[in-house]
Amino acid sequence: MTITADHVVPDTTTALLAMDGVGKTFGTVRALDAVTLSVKPGSVHCILGENGAGKSTLCNSIYGTVSPDTGRMRLAGAEYRPRNPSDALRAGVAMVHQHFSLIPTMTVADNLLLGRDGFRPPRRRLSTDLARIADSYGLTVDAKATVGDLTVGARQRVEIVKALLRDPQLILLDEPTAVLDPTEIDALIATCAALVADGKSVVLITHKLGEVARAADEATVLRAGTVVGGGRLADVPLSALLELMLGDTEPLERARTPRRSTNADTGAALRVDGIGVTRSDGSVALADVGLSIAGGEIVGIAGVEGNGQSELIEVLSGALPPTNGTVSIDGADLTGASPAQRTGAGLAVIPEDRHAEGMIAELSIAENIAMPRLADYRRWGLLDRARMRTDAAKAIAEYKIRASSPDAPIGSLSGGNQQKVVLARELSTAGLRVVVAAQPTRGLDAGAVGFVLDRLRAAADDGAAVLVTSSEIDELIAVCDRIVVAYRGTLTGSVMTDSPTAATDVGILMTGVCA
Amino acid sequence: MTGLKPQIRHPLTVAIGALIAAAIVGLGLAATAGAGPVEVIDALVEGTLGSRFAIGTSLNTAAVLMLVAAGFTVAYRAGLVNVGGEGQLCLGGIAATAVGVSLPAGLPSPLALTAILIAATVAGAAWASIAAWLRVHRGTSEIITTLLLNFIGLALVVLMVQEPSLLRQPMTSSETLPQSEALPAAAHLPLLGLHKNPATIAIVLAVILVAAIGIMLRHTAAGLRLRAVGLSGSASARLGVPVDRTAFVGLTAAGGFSGLAGGLLVTTAPFILADGFSSGFGFSGLVVGLLARGSMTAVAAVSLLFGFLVSGGINLQLAAGVPASTITVVQSVLIIFIAGAAWWTTTKPKRPQSLSAGTQLADDHTKEVSA
Repeated sequence: MTITADHVVPDTTTALLAMDGVGKTFGTVRALDAVTLSVKPGSVHCILGENGAGKSTLCNSIYGTVSPDTGRMRLAGAEYRPRNPSDALRAGVAMVHQHFSLIPTMTVADNLLLGRDGFRPPRRRLSTDLARIADSYGLTVDAKATVGDLTVGARQRVEIVKALLRDPQLILLDEPTAVLDPTEIDALIATCAALVADGKSVVLITHKLGEVARAADEATVLRAGTVVGGGRLADVPLSALLELMLGDTEPLERARTPRRSTNADTGAALRVDGIGVTRSDGSVALADVGLSIAGGEIVGIAGVEGNGQSELIEVLSGALPPTNGTVSIDGADLTGASPAQRTGAGLAVIPEDRHAEGMIAELSIAENIAMPRLADYRRWGLLDRARMRTDAAKAIAEYKIRASSPDAPIGSLSGGNQQKVVLARELSTAGLRVVVAAQPTRGLDAGAVGFVLDRLRAAADDGAAVLVTSSEIDELIAVCDRIVVAYRGTLTGSVMTDSPTAATDVGILMTGVCA
Repeated sequence: MTGLKPQIRHPLTVAIGALIAAAIVGLGLAATAGAGPVEVIDALVEGTLGSRFAIGTSLNTAAVLMLVAAGFTVAYRAGLVNVGGEGQLCLGGIAATAVGVSLPAGLPSPLALTAILIAATVAGAAWASIAAWLRVHRGTSEIITTLLLNFIGLALVVLMVQEPSLLRQPMTSSETLPQSEALPAAAHLPLLGLHKNPATIAIVLAVILVAAIGIMLRHTAAGLRLRAVGLSGSASARLGVPVDRTAFVGLTAAGGFSGLAGGLLVTTAPFILADGFSSGFGFSGLVVGLLARGSMTAVAAVSLLFGFLVSGGINLQLAAGVPASTITVVQSVLIIFIAGAAWWTTTKPKRPQSLSAGTQLADDHTKEVSA
């Protein structure tokens, strides 16, 4: 590392940052592969991609926390190979992390002075620097305020100011809007514009397309660690970016048998009214969400991740108490009910995070299946293990689970087979009325995907109300009767999947254009 | 090769390996005190199996250790580490003494003992429930709280036996020792009735309880729920297990067993409560629990071994001139070896029977990489 800030002179002809064939492997996974992109001086460059696409690894490679194992980078024309964040900072690259690194009990000024060299903190210089930053970028922070008292938006401003104090040429923002409310997002976009006007470049990492449209000059789309496309926003339409981001999978077959039309007067099996969730830091995860699903109906929630789907599922499963609103099944209020009471009311949940919530890896298949209804297996005070095993063997046969025996630990199965065990357990809930399936097909191979979707259809045909969230639009169109779109904590639209333009309609709603 | 691996990782193999290593360290220490290995082993055997008295004392000690370790194992199933055996044992001893000395005269022995032991159990459970409550409602680490409650428990014993208005025996002269009144005959644990052998029914009671807990953990819904909570709180909650209540009950039960052990101690000769009445059995019981690694058979076996080791240690000092604290060092070395071996038993090869282990691992990595 020999580059110093002095060498980084903005040059409008060459790229500020050029990455050429950068790759990185973690264990057996190629997190980044042959990534080539260039960030022009004085521009906002968005890196788009789903969770796990490699956005953060890319960002960390630029900031020096991850050292790429192939490829090279050039910063303002000079070779750039940061070994750690100090190298990056010296070279004029600063980063604002997704999770803030401020100490809440200290004042803003103390936080800004942390990590500075020297014996005495240069307080006077700090105040002139702050004045300069406020002047040129409209970023004002109250230096005397305690960080813990600030709103999320204000804390993020402090983080950005902290980055700017180093006078960087390139600023990396990792998912900066994930925790912000709409007005704070507007302010952030304005800040980006001010930085760009000053000749600096901003790399904005996000999976929210709506913001890209407003903030970026250029975008690069990552999928599974590789660049799948991108370009100037003026040339590439948002819908094309969305397609690139989600990938074009083989269209799934629509339900083989036409699904029974749902009877409007059967009434809603699942009703969600005015649900709002405020995170502990004050930001809004869900705002006034309403949804009603009739028995026998399958409703899908589409949307780019992070728009409130996960929180809604948590509210339904009982893991997250909503700030306001009600959840009811067949008219019975379950808003504050325990998971056991919900199961008793006929709610089956296929959790998004199978490993953390759906199963206990060390316990056997039989134990995992019997866990919610252990009371049914009690005989003379002891567990009737023989019966647990027989029931599990039945489920193994019925769901075609590949397992050596019902006593095998569920953790020894492949992901698809684990999901089938979860499905078998949940769909055998006594008095099944509502099925909530969060990303039920994620990480499964095509055969298992088809199986899971068939089972959900069968549950609906038997009269259950089914709610599915997925980031795969094709899958939702194949299985659902109608699709709503999650966007910034609200549910918008209601697209009937038998409409020929369903996929396009959902795609447009996902960009937030109509919101 | 693959067939051998599970056995190497078996808790029993690890325990035996650690024992051998600790024995070597112990013999080395004894050598520095001038005693050769043969001499040391002779003294140990003499002190443990050499006389009926020695065997009886060892069995009584083993009973106490068994109960503490059994409680530790119950809490450990729920993912909680109970370091507070000593404090809970002290509270059990205090409650047993308080009930024992205030029993109406002429109460039949079975009734008296039942009352005393129930009081001891309840007191130990109540002491542990403080830590359990803090854990469940405040998220305070139970390792810290149970550990610190030990010192309060130990100090309470001192307070009880120093203060005449509490449990100190009536002061007749300035030489009256700071200890409680002796418990009446009705409150004495019956001996097993072996000739010249001080072994009480405590060992029978402990073995029965250990067997009952073994069955509870393996074959009941409660046992499975405890395990589920210990393995994954979030999944257990989703699957309708009352996570907080299960954890609370698990740790409180551990306290109950330690409390009962304290009750057994004061109802065994010399039938008094005094400072140091427990000789650190709460901590030794913790070691037994750690060594047994969840197996109740191992709890019984290791308790017996430790019971004999403690008696042997006393003779070691008398006969071979090796400090009895060498045994404590050996115990501590055991803990270190067991902790060091923990990765060996817990880091099982990932998903050994997986049909698609490669892709599964890949999935996991993707998750770690994604931000």
